[in-house]
Amino acid sequence: MSSAALASVSHVVRRYWAVALVVAGWQIWVSAAGLSSIVLPGPLAVLKDFAGDPLSYAEPAGRTFAVALAGLLLGFALGGGLAVLSWSSRILNGLLTPLGLIFTSIPVVTLIPIIARMLGYDVRTVIAIVALICFFPAFVYVGAGLRALPPGSDDLFRVFGGSRRQRFLRLVLPSSIPNLMLAFRLTAPEAVLAAVVAEFLMGTDGLGYMFRKAAGEFDTERALATSLIATITSVACFGLALAAERRVLRRWT
Amino acid sequence: MTSARSQSFVLGLIGVSLFLAAWEVIGTYRLAGLTWPPLSTVLAFLSTPARLPLFGRAAAASFTSVAIGYVCGGVGGLVLALASHLIAPVRPGLDRLVAVIHAIPSIALAPLLIVLASADATPPIISGLGVGYIFYVAATSGLATAGASHRDLFAVLGASRLSTALRLDLPSALPAIASAMKLSVPIAFIGAIIGEWFGASRGLGLLIVSAMQNFQIPLLWSAVLITAVASLSMFALFSLFERLVQERMR
Amino acid sequence: MPEKPAIRIDRVSKTFRLGDGRELTALTDIDLSIASGEFVALLGPSGCGKSTILRLVAALEAATAGRVTIEGRAPAELCQSHRLGVAFQDHALLPWLDIEANVALPFHLAGRPVDGARVRDLIALVGLTGFEKARPRQLSGGMRQRASIARALVLEPEVLLLDEPFGALDAVTRRQMNVELQRIWSRHRITTLLVTHSVDEALFLADRVVVMSGRPGRVILDLPAPFARPRAPSVMREPAFHDLVDQLTEALEPEGAHA
Repeated sequence: MSSAALASVSHVVRRYWAVALVVAGWQIWVSAAGLSSIVLPGPLAVLKDFAGDPLSYAEPAGRTFAVALAGLLLGFALGGGLAVLSWSSRILNGLLTPLGLIFTSIPVVTLIPIIARMLGYDVRTVIAIVALICFFPAFVYVGAGLRALPPGSDDLFRVFGGSRRQRFLRLVLPSSIPNLMLAFRLTAPEAVLAAVVAEFLMGTDGLGYMFRKAAGEFDTERALATSLIATITSVACFGLALAAERRVLRRWT
Repeated sequence: MTSARSQSFVLGLIGVSLFLAAWEVIGTYRLAGLTWPPLSTVLAFLSTPARLPLFGRAAAASFTSVAIGYVCGGVGGLVLALASHLIAPVRPGLDRLVAVIHAIPSIALAPLLIVLASADATPPIISGLGVGYIFYVAATSGLATAGASHRDLFAVLGASRLSTALRLDLPSALPAIASAMKLSVPIAFIGAIIGEWFGASRGLGLLIVSAMQNFQIPLLWSAVLITAVASLSMFALFSLFERLVQERMR
Repeated sequence: MPEKPAIRIDRVSKTFRLGDGRELTALTDIDLSIASGEFVALLGPSGCGKSTILRLVAALEAATAGRVTIEGRAPAELCQSHRLGVAFQDHALLPWLDIEANVALPFHLAGRPVDGARVRDLIALVGLTGFEKARPRQLSGGMRQRASIARALVLEPEVLLLDEPFGALDAVTRRQMNVELQRIWSRHRITTLLVTHSVDEALFLADRVVVMSGRPGRVILDLPAPFARPRAPSVMREPAFHDLVDQLTEALEPEGAHA
């Protein structure tokens, strides 16, 4: 084996030994205890189920991803928009700041049943729930970003006689971009998880529904494989958001 | 300055009042349909003496899960963070493990936990996993905040790795840990409630889900309100503590 | 002073309200005139209120008593008509714009079409040709300050305000930047107010050095720096320069430290 390959193997081992240990422990425990696959299948059985029919997971995963993305964008548009409004008016800012704080300090997930009841069991409801979950981080982070100007730049714009509009377009809005991207990275995986939970509760569509159906039919292998796909989707969304953030920050700072 | 602070306090109070008034008005005139009750209805429902035992039992069960999850998750997260700080080679592996566990949807964990532990142990475990994640992330970054000059000073004075960790790194990590204590409050509640959605025998989460399925609108809103107010109060308490720590550490 | 002053600071006092309700008197009864085309350096220990004077002239603060005028009018009017140039200790370059766009920013703020040739000339004048497309973070501290000075000059301002522009630089770079600024200024001769705590910098750059004492800030010495322009760095080795440095340094020493 070449030294480069050896280095990359040791790189992977250094990062994933703990995850591998947990998965191996799971398999050994299942085999040793002789658990039935309805109670708890081992990771190999789960993988085998997935490998047997990978395409059947693709469609629900795609739906969950699309719904999460739609909700994420909607939540960011509303949250970011309200942050801008609240920046432009001191009174509105004073009114909204404590509300924003209150809603970030309560478990918003518990509102899912209320929204489900209000809007009906529908894919639009899932989007609304994801949007609600993403709304508050977007509002709080973008709001903070609109006030985090580069040092001295505010004085500079005043001395150079920039108008309020120019100050907003050329200074305040660009300053909020790094915070916007940070909020995006933090909420992207949460959006997928929220979508899965909402789908599970309402039984509409996507990975959450697939999981619920499999669990209901005691098809534990399929249920766990669905979880695996949901985890991968969530991690992939985090990775995408992280890559987008790095790209934007390279351009922005 | 003081006038600006009192002004923003008054504005905030008006904002919250407007929110509560909007809740009442929307409910009274059914602007959002039949599933949005006025605040007064929810409060009246909550304060009916006959229902007190119901809410009391559910809240006691949920808050116990929250407390167990919070304490165990917090301690576990801190211990793991300290381990990965003191034993550098294990750090990348632990980072990945914690991130992967965090990325597993809690609804996927719940059935596993029901098999591995029991239905009533599931809420505190999910709660603890969420809290542990926040503590681990905050503490690992907090432990690394001590400045290079301080580190050099300790090295020159011949401090051991453990004594550097206890006398320099841990104190510098206190503000980050205080923030984690605050930020993990809603996470602890979310974990407990979601855990209860999967067949716990009692708790606010169970109440919420059964009220949703049976169209018991005031019950649904009441249970959500209790959860929100509890989380909010605990969050406010830890915010004060966080501010105290930050003042002390400045 | 023969001609009508460009900047008139007329018995100005400034008091700040602190958070706990106490008041802090930053300046008392400051009286200072700067002639058109004159370069005045304000010298003093940190916290003596010299930056407050600059911020009053920049319309970033309002005087508690007295009046600041530029050519007979309020400084805010000059800001509105985009005729002030400014550079701070913190370069205040926008991180998301390249150097060219940063230098061109005042054109946008004034609502004027960008004069590309003027931007390129100024970038060349401060010695940044070839770095037009670089980001601020890719440049050294000295280069960022050069860009910030080019930005201050790009609209041909009537008054140039410099608040410790080289305060964050190391001594060698700072001296080099002083030589550059002296060369650039000798070509434009804009009415300039420089705030600094470096005696050498004040004497080498300014026509007149005004020394302030701290808390509350007041003027304690007003000395001309009678060296012919353009000035070569060798000026700093002349005996006359050293004599003035000694005088200014002594004035800066806290009272009671002489004995």
